[in-house]
Amino acid sequence: MQILLSELERDALTEIVNIGVSRAAASLRRLIGAEVLLSVPSAEVISRQAAAAMIADREQEPLVAVRQDFAGPFSGRALLILPAANGASLVRAVLGDSVDDAEALALQDETLTETGNLVLNNCLGTMANMLRESLTLSLPDLDHGAPAALFASGMRPEEEVAGVVLFLYINFSIRNHDIRGYIAMLMDMPSLAMLQQLIASFISSVMDDTAGSP
Amino acid sequence: MENTALPFTTDPATGPLAASLGDRIGPWMAAFEAAGVALAVLDGAKPELPLLGCTAAFTARGGPGALERLRQAGPAAAREAQGRAFRAADTPPLFLAPGPSEGLLLCTLPEGEGQEDRRLRAQLALSGSAAWEWEIATGRIAGDTQFAAWHGLPLAGAALDPSGFFACIHPQDRMRIRLGVGGLLRGAELFSKEYRLLGPDGTVRWVQARTRCWPDAQGQPARLIGTLTDITEQKRTEERLRIAQSAGGIGTFEHVPGFGTAAVSGTFCALLGLRPVANLPVPLVNSLVAEGDPSPFDRAPPAAPGPAETRAFRIRRADDGTPRWLMRRGEYLRDADTSELRFSGVLYDVTATQEAEARLRTLNEALESRVAERTRELDRVWRVSRDLFFVGDAEGRCVSANPAWQAALGLPAAGLPGTPLGALVQEEDRDMLEAALAQLRHGGADVAVELRMRHADGTSRAFSWACIPDEAGFVAAGRDVTRRNELEERLRQSQKMEAVGQLTGGLAHDFNNLLAGIGGSLELMQLRLAGGQVAALPRHVELAQGAVQRAAALTHRLLAFARRQTLDAQPTAVNVLVEGMLELVQRSIGPHIRIETRFEPALWLTLCDQNQLENALLNLCLNARDAMAGGGLLRITTANTALGVAAAQALDLPPADYVRLTVADTGSGMDAATLAKVFEPFFTTKPLGGGTGLGLSMVYGFARQSGGQVRIDSVPGEGTAVHLYLPRHGEAAPQAPPAAAAGLPPARPGRRGTLLLVDDEPSLRAVLREALDYAGYTVLEAEDGAGGLALLRSAGPVDLLLADVGLPGGMNGRQLADAARQEQPGLKVLLITGYADAATLGADRAEAQMEILAKPFRLAEFLRRVERLLP
Repeated sequence: MQILLSELERDALTEIVNIGVSRAAASLRRLIGAEVLLSVPSAEVISRQAAAAMIADREQEPLVAVRQDFAGPFSGRALLILPAANGASLVRAVLGDSVDDAEALALQDETLTETGNLVLNNCLGTMANMLRESLTLSLPDLDHGAPAALFASGMRPEEEVAGVVLFLYINFSIRNHDIRGYIAMLMDMPSLAMLQQLIASFISSVMDDTAGSP
Repeated sequence: MENTALPFTTDPATGPLAASLGDRIGPWMAAFEAAGVALAVLDGAKPELPLLGCTAAFTARGGPGALERLRQAGPAAAREAQGRAFRAADTPPLFLAPGPSEGLLLCTLPEGEGQEDRRLRAQLALSGSAAWEWEIATGRIAGDTQFAAWHGLPLAGAALDPSGFFACIHPQDRMRIRLGVGGLLRGAELFSKEYRLLGPDGTVRWVQARTRCWPDAQGQPARLIGTLTDITEQKRTEERLRIAQSAGGIGTFEHVPGFGTAAVSGTFCALLGLRPVANLPVPLVNSLVAEGDPSPFDRAPPAAPGPAETRAFRIRRADDGTPRWLMRRGEYLRDADTSELRFSGVLYDVTATQEAEARLRTLNEALESRVAERTRELDRVWRVSRDLFFVGDAEGRCVSANPAWQAALGLPAAGLPGTPLGALVQEEDRDMLEAALAQLRHGGADVAVELRMRHADGTSRAFSWACIPDEAGFVAAGRDVTRRNELEERLRQSQKMEAVGQLTGGLAHDFNNLLAGIGGSLELMQLRLAGGQVAALPRHVELAQGAVQRAAALTHRLLAFARRQTLDAQPTAVNVLVEGMLELVQRSIGPHIRIETRFEPALWLTLCDQNQLENALLNLCLNARDAMAGGGLLRITTANTALGVAAAQALDLPPADYVRLTVADTGSGMDAATLAKVFEPFFTTKPLGGGTGLGLSMVYGFARQSGGQVRIDSVPGEGTAVHLYLPRHGEAAPQAPPAAAAGLPPARPGRRGTLLLVDDEPSLRAVLREALDYAGYTVLEAEDGAGGLALLRSAGPVDLLLADVGLPGGMNGRQLADAARQEQPGLKVLLITGYADAATLGADRAEAQMEILAKPFRLAEFLRRVERLLP
């Protein structure tokens, strides 16, 4: 399924995402006060269905996703996906024990949305910085449903079927809260082409480091 | 590492004094060494400034080179430099301690700027790690000794530029590392990457680079500080481990109880039918585990590190749904980072093993149930069978017996073990049992023997046993054949009675004919006497006598068949006998049949009753005549025959020498069915009245009684040959056959002697008495033994006892004779018998001096025998 990106480009992209995710994890760690395990990110260009299948492969339960669209030189959508049952745990982890269950339930969607926004903002912001570009981020939305539905949500019908997407897959897991999730980034072909250019310039700028100054 | 090889060195040029100085400074040097100080001690009193000792750090950091420069500068320059640093080109500055102390010159290598703690560096060097620092503003990259060595730098503190740094990285890894460094320079905090480092001597080593970016006061990246760790060995081990895992189908995983994901290997994913990823959600793995089976993950860690429970569980593969058996093994380790327990383990497929075990189990169960079923069946047979079962050891003792013993012989099976089978068999049959057991011991596969056994109630039962050898002993099954034997006996009896009926019927027919002749003659004689026609009497008498003679011949033949005729065996020359018969034979068979004889000239003698042999020969010739109605050739042959074992067995004779007499014809022959019956009494092929059918059976009886045999060869349409075998006799030459008696001797006047006549048949007694009277004897008569004995006692001695053998009243003729001899020793005895009963007559009749006269006899013969006894 690996198309479009060369190995070097993929390494570069992985590096960029790594930086962004590190920042996001650090934010989350500060927010929750618990250890957060992050997997080494994997970046693949695959079909929308394959991306959905990859998640579905691993999760049988309903999912919940915080969705944030981004626009700029390259556009797309970033998702923080959690098993729906994990949502409550995350809310509890964020809010602490000071609120009771009823309150936590009432605040669940809002908390989830804000937490997702924090993680995704960090991630996308860092990436944009790295690529020396700026991105406009939409307000976060919350989606419920099966993986295919989450990936399709808000997409035009023809994209649903034929879309080839960049799927950044990062697995995270929070200690003692039975929370795990994925960060996915979906981009269409024109945005991918643009991203590729940016990555190329990132690579060449890195090559310039040899001269001694960034 | 090389530092530790030179912890303390002395210059050989120092001599004894230096040696003692060295002794004194030793403890100091050790202390400096431990502190990691780069220090050298020189003998300042000598112009060549010999080295008394130095620390490893001094050597490692280029001290010897600086020292050499100092010596080149000379002792004066050295003295000037005391209290400050001595600097020379391309060597590190050497700091000389102020003022010599007892002639000792102390040199140290001062700390360089920007370098980390040297003790840490020493430790890094020892651990195969190098420390380095990248000053972003200047692009200056420098590191410790290890870093310098790995990067081909001459000394610690020497610097590289970024292009030099990247040049030391394997081309295949270079871009990746540059990207990583690029990330650090643009805001990433941490960097941890593995790459291949190219050494100055051409070696390639795998290193792990861990780097952190330190910002300056403005938050901009200022310097990268990091370490390089040699992981070549680790890489090799990893590679070996990876190959072992993939080749062995072993998936590895790590999981800290409490976390929702586990770090897994590619093989781990493949075992579950998942795409290879580095992390898997715990619930996903659990969802593949079959319901009721344990998860490979634990909910809570154990109390202490150590081996974890080994688990086998079933899964349904995520990709194709195939059920598999997997095995989990592993250990809990103390996590270095978090000090918590972390499970590190492996997963591998054991489906084949489990299935093989299951198959084996099923097979075993099936086998067990089949065995149980078979055992039940056998047990039923054992319990229900009416046949006796006996399991015996090698000595024939009972190991076990079935319950049938109770019903069949009244013996409880439980009491039998230990009892020898022989003890259960009737004594008469024990030899047969022993023979059967011996046969089994010598490898007999299937031995059958019929044994009589004693029932608990005392009756006898016959059992037919089939025995087979079994391990150390034998197994025998016995069927009660008592009833069968009885039935067989009854059948034989009824067959005998049938034969007797046939015999008596035939006899009655023949006798009635003869009686009619005799009776008719007597009536005619009566008529003639009444009419005074005496002249006609002799013809009737002749007729009656003829009938009586035929009747006598008939009974004789009967007895011959019964083998109870009284044989008067004489050594006989068969050739002579046949020769004497030829005329009679020729007359009997008629002129249309030619006789041919072939005599063995040196024919052996045989012992037989000559009259019977004549009779037999005549019979055979007459049969031959009847078979050759249209004429033919009658051949009479004699021969000597020595029968070997096999030939004798075929003839049912003991192996010995025999004389063979053969009568062969060229007549009609007989078919097999007829041949089978020819020896039966009254069997005849002749028309009614043509013969009694006793001919061949008589011949057979005579041959058997004489210790010989008869065999018939016959082909229908070609002829018949009857062979008569008679045993060879080795005694003296035969006497001439006695001449047949003609008629009664003439009556003699006067009393010639007294005879006691004992016979229970009044008519015979009357006839004999009249004959004896006629012959001039005085006759005393009694009708049984007791009467006879009484008469002997009362009437006084007699000259001859004439007694029938078969007497009524409990005393037979022989016994009477014995008793009479008690009364009158030496009494002459003539016994008259209807048949030869050896038991009655006794085997010793010759020495007992008792004469025998077989009934029927002619009165002339009778009187001649009496006369011979009473001369």
